[in-house]
Amino acid sequence: MLEVIEKQDVLVRMHEDLQRALKKKPEERRWVMVIDLRKCVGCHACTIACIAENKLPPGVVYRPVLSEEFGTYPLVTMKFLPRPCMQCDQPPCVPVCPVNATYKNEEGVVIVDYDQCIGCRSCITACPYAARTFDFGRTYTQGTPDGMPFLFGQTNADDYERNANVEYGENIVREGEKSPIGNVRKCHFCLHRLAEGLLPACTTTCIGRATLFGDANDPESLVSEMIAHPNVMRLKEDLGTEPRVYYLL
Amino acid sequence: MLKKFTYTFGGLALLIGLWGFYDRLATGHENAAYGSYVVWGLWVAMYLFFAGCAAGGFMIATLEYLFNIQIFKGTGKIALWAALVSLGAALLSIWLDLGHMERVWKVYLQGNPSSVMFQMVWGYTLLGLILLVSLILAIRKPESQWLKIGMGIGLGVSLFVSGAVGALLGVNAARPFWHIGLFPVQFPVFSLASGVAMLLTILGLFGPKQDPNRPQQLWVLSIASVVLLIVKLYFMWADYSQSVYGGVSMNVAAVNQVLYGRYWWAFWILQILVGSFIPLIVLTQPKLAKHNGWAGWMGLLMLVGYAVARGLIIFPGLTVPELQQLTAAFSGPHLSFDYFPSLMEWAVTLGTIGLAILGFLLGSDLLSLYSKNSEA
Repeated sequence: MLEVIEKQDVLVRMHEDLQRALKKKPEERRWVMVIDLRKCVGCHACTIACIAENKLPPGVVYRPVLSEEFGTYPLVTMKFLPRPCMQCDQPPCVPVCPVNATYKNEEGVVIVDYDQCIGCRSCITACPYAARTFDFGRTYTQGTPDGMPFLFGQTNADDYERNANVEYGENIVREGEKSPIGNVRKCHFCLHRLAEGLLPACTTTCIGRATLFGDANDPESLVSEMIAHPNVMRLKEDLGTEPRVYYLL
Repeated sequence: MLKKFTYTFGGLALLIGLWGFYDRLATGHENAAYGSYVVWGLWVAMYLFFAGCAAGGFMIATLEYLFNIQIFKGTGKIALWAALVSLGAALLSIWLDLGHMERVWKVYLQGNPSSVMFQMVWGYTLLGLILLVSLILAIRKPESQWLKIGMGIGLGVSLFVSGAVGALLGVNAARPFWHIGLFPVQFPVFSLASGVAMLLTILGLFGPKQDPNRPQQLWVLSIASVVLLIVKLYFMWADYSQSVYGGVSMNVAAVNQVLYGRYWWAFWILQILVGSFIPLIVLTQPKLAKHNGWAGWMGLLMLVGYAVARGLIIFPGLTVPELQQLTAAFSGPHLSFDYFPSLMEWAVTLGTIGLAILGFLLGSDLLSLYSKNSEA
């Protein structure tokens, strides 16, 4: 007779962790992301989910997955490294901003105030993780044929691009020269989803459950458990940036 | 004849630039070759260059108005004017580089004082005001004590802003190629070198030929240029050799790009041969160094070399990926580590140069900035 092993899906557990965290004051939470590199299969679902969630235009990416090939045929293997913003506790991008447009919010997430950013891109040069991209104002339907109105073609197809996204919980419409066009953009741990009790888009779409998210100030949370393991590392720790994204090796 | 040619060149450059300005203002940054990885391109390099000329021009003007050095009598006003025009060109270059040009006021009213860029913006604004007031005083009341005070304060400000440019790059620990402790010390020297080369060009090519002081002025400026050029080359040698010896991979990759990679021609041909070697040979010959034409053209070659050098500081610091696999991780427009300025960027820079040339020539013609002292 087959023995059924009951095991809770980590998504369910993280969801429960999230609900507990949201009951705390924002400044008492410590959002962290843990990425288990042994489980990442390089499917890029997180990248795509992020682009869809935040309606990112061409050339703007918050969470690319870096891949590296090892060995020679037939002994070949690949390693993948998803790279969101590290939400550093000592973020080098913050002090260089001449207008305080980027800062750590009360939950410790590094955010960009689109209406304040002047687009000098100093923060991009300061980030050691290349976690920031500039919105050059492009759209996916740019340059495509405009067919019969209301049936097909650019006019109809780019409705999706013209409608507002909800980053930072605001209705942000990209048009003309208005922000976020001309601004620096970055991963914000899907703050707008967290506010609604949802996990970040990259976390929920990870097919291997390699991306974990939660409150590290909660000793009961999955992420607290994971970052206590000895096989944990952070990128470029020598720079003293104190990233909030941990990798399990 | 030369002045007419320069007016024509300036006019043509501005004409081409008008297309660039239009494209920039109509389509934003879409047609720029810089992107999210190589975030600063030609305009930032030209900003560094023009800002260096402005600070250096001011430093040179203090030789007459603050230190009363006899041989430089009569050169102060034209140096101040050239510095003011250069500052205008610098600010135009960097203003056009902003994603939201209309928000520049925020740096003044809602700024972050701990940001080096904030300090620079305030510093250059102050320098611009001091330059303007000093120039007006130099034209109207050259004997005024206020002129001396202004020049004294301005000298400090010009040293500060030059150093701040070095710090703007140097504070980036993420970019080992820029993260050089002595950058804020090196940049004021670069500025002074630019200022001296600029005055050499101006006096040699456009200064009144009958000035009896001219050959001696040119000789002193030539020697100063040569010394500063050698110091500058030494700084570069120190930075590059230590980078390669130290073996930090991002650093080595950046130096290799300059010496043997995609920018080799700019380094070896424009910066070393045209901007350094030829002027060094010519300006160490007293007869040639005292000759208006030779000295002026060599000053111009050095300025070209200095402009290229700014580009070779900015670009290689950004064209080496912070994380090796980023190059292939995600593709899209403006996501490349390869950088060569686009036509629009060149046009805007040409337009800025054209404006600076026309502004300088018109000002020097209308305001009679080559003062009587220089003909005394």
